[in-house]
Amino acid sequence: MSTRMAVVGKGGAGKSLVAGTLARLLAQKGRRVLTLDSDLMPGLALSLGLGAFSGASLAGAVECDEQGRWHLRKKIGPVRAVEEFSIEAPDGVRHLQGGKLGAEGMAGIVGSVNGLYEVARRVGKARRFATWTILGDLPAGTRQVAYEWAPYADTFVLVVEPSWKSALTASRIAKIIRSRPGATVAPVANKVVDAEDVERIEAILEEKVAGAVPLDQSVREAERLGVAVVDHDRRAPAVKALLALVDHLCDSWPREGL
Amino acid sequence: MKIAVTGKGGSGKTVVAGTLARALGRSGHRVLAIDADVNPMLGISLGLGPEANERLVAARQALDAGELDHQPTAEGVVAAFGADAPDGVRLVVVNRIEHYGPGCPCCGLNPEGLVEDLDGAGRVIVCDLEAGLGTVSRLRPGQLDLVLVVAEPTAKSIEVARRAARLAQSRGRVLVLANRIRDAADLEDVRAALPEHEVLPIPEDEVITRADREGVAPIDLDPAAPGVECLKAVASHLVSKPVGI
Repeated sequence: MSTRMAVVGKGGAGKSLVAGTLARLLAQKGRRVLTLDSDLMPGLALSLGLGAFSGASLAGAVECDEQGRWHLRKKIGPVRAVEEFSIEAPDGVRHLQGGKLGAEGMAGIVGSVNGLYEVARRVGKARRFATWTILGDLPAGTRQVAYEWAPYADTFVLVVEPSWKSALTASRIAKIIRSRPGATVAPVANKVVDAEDVERIEAILEEKVAGAVPLDQSVREAERLGVAVVDHDRRAPAVKALLALVDHLCDSWPREGL
Repeated sequence: MKIAVTGKGGSGKTVVAGTLARALGRSGHRVLAIDADVNPMLGISLGLGPEANERLVAARQALDAGELDHQPTAEGVVAAFGADAPDGVRLVVVNRIEHYGPGCPCCGLNPEGLVEDLDGAGRVIVCDLEAGLGTVSRLRPGQLDLVLVVAEPTAKSIEVARRAARLAQSRGRVLVLANRIRDAADLEDVRAALPEHEVLPIPEDEVITRADREGVAPIDLDPAAPGVECLKAVASHLVSKPVGI
């Protein structure tokens, strides 16, 4: 399986939790991991264990041209953008994010957001990161999928909880992704209480899930505290389930991807 | 009166918007519900069911497909492309994003434009916004009577709520709904992060969870459930205040 992934799904399904935890677990297994956070709201940094970090790590990498369009500064390509403007998360994960929407509105972050879009378009093919795992965390819903915020991804980890809205959102997202050949969709059931929950999700999606993560009190505590669940409780059932997913992904990775 | 509901994805915006709309409709108010999420789900929480929700026509796509000869007014959009939900609620879906290359987000019909153009007098307009704060940031100041910020007692949801409240202040009065509250500590987490705002608790409610699983409106599953009762009380609280109705 892939080293180029993006995590998608409905709001609240657990995208950042899955993305942040997968990133940490992969890094603990010795992989170089780059996370790309294109959500205008904070989330992934907390699940990575970075605390309340919400700075635009790309703000210094962009400039505005005469037409008022923002892009990466001259001599800054995706490699330099990552090397100079990503920040280090625990376990050596490199984390790159655009600005987060605050009181000043879009005007305050439009530069870094455009910079991140440019990085996302080019980073997947950069030789420097050929052996890295790139893991994107997209915001809730269909919007960024449709506007192609994850062109690097050949695998979309689709996080679904056992509710109609979450499963319908997942169906819509899967349909968009599959309207083009080449991309794989890996649905992951989250907040699962019993086998019936998984069946409910699979019935609406009309396909089998690639993994199931249980509803977990440790996750709830970690979410409440704003810490990474791997730091809060390494033995939590949800972490074990995600570890199994990682092992599954690693086993099926081609050797040259290692 | 114009109300918008915002907050983090999954915090319960759509359940709040749908249940408030139904409760207001049931108590005799004229209610227009606007689904401003490009991943529209409000029809489910209004009680139309998942299949009917999937069949709802979005106004923007209908206009783009040339389903009207002339550019309609905002009221014309509601009349032409709206649907009827229980308790007399009228529902209009603004825009669906379901394909690659969905077109320019600011050109053509958009939620902020529609909300600004609609007249809030003599009725309650309940607008369910997309996750995050994009639409709130694009609304011009003073366009709303009330912004409901829904926050769960988690670090992420509270941080989004803080940003939403700051951004929404200039657009309308802000009221925070602390959702899925289990105990005093949950409520205190939300209140401590938003000290300058009124915060009303909505209890964690097994009925609302079950409604989400089954794809039905909580008010249809059990109108006396604690969370539903609480939202009904919020609804009457809102319209009893002299804020434009």
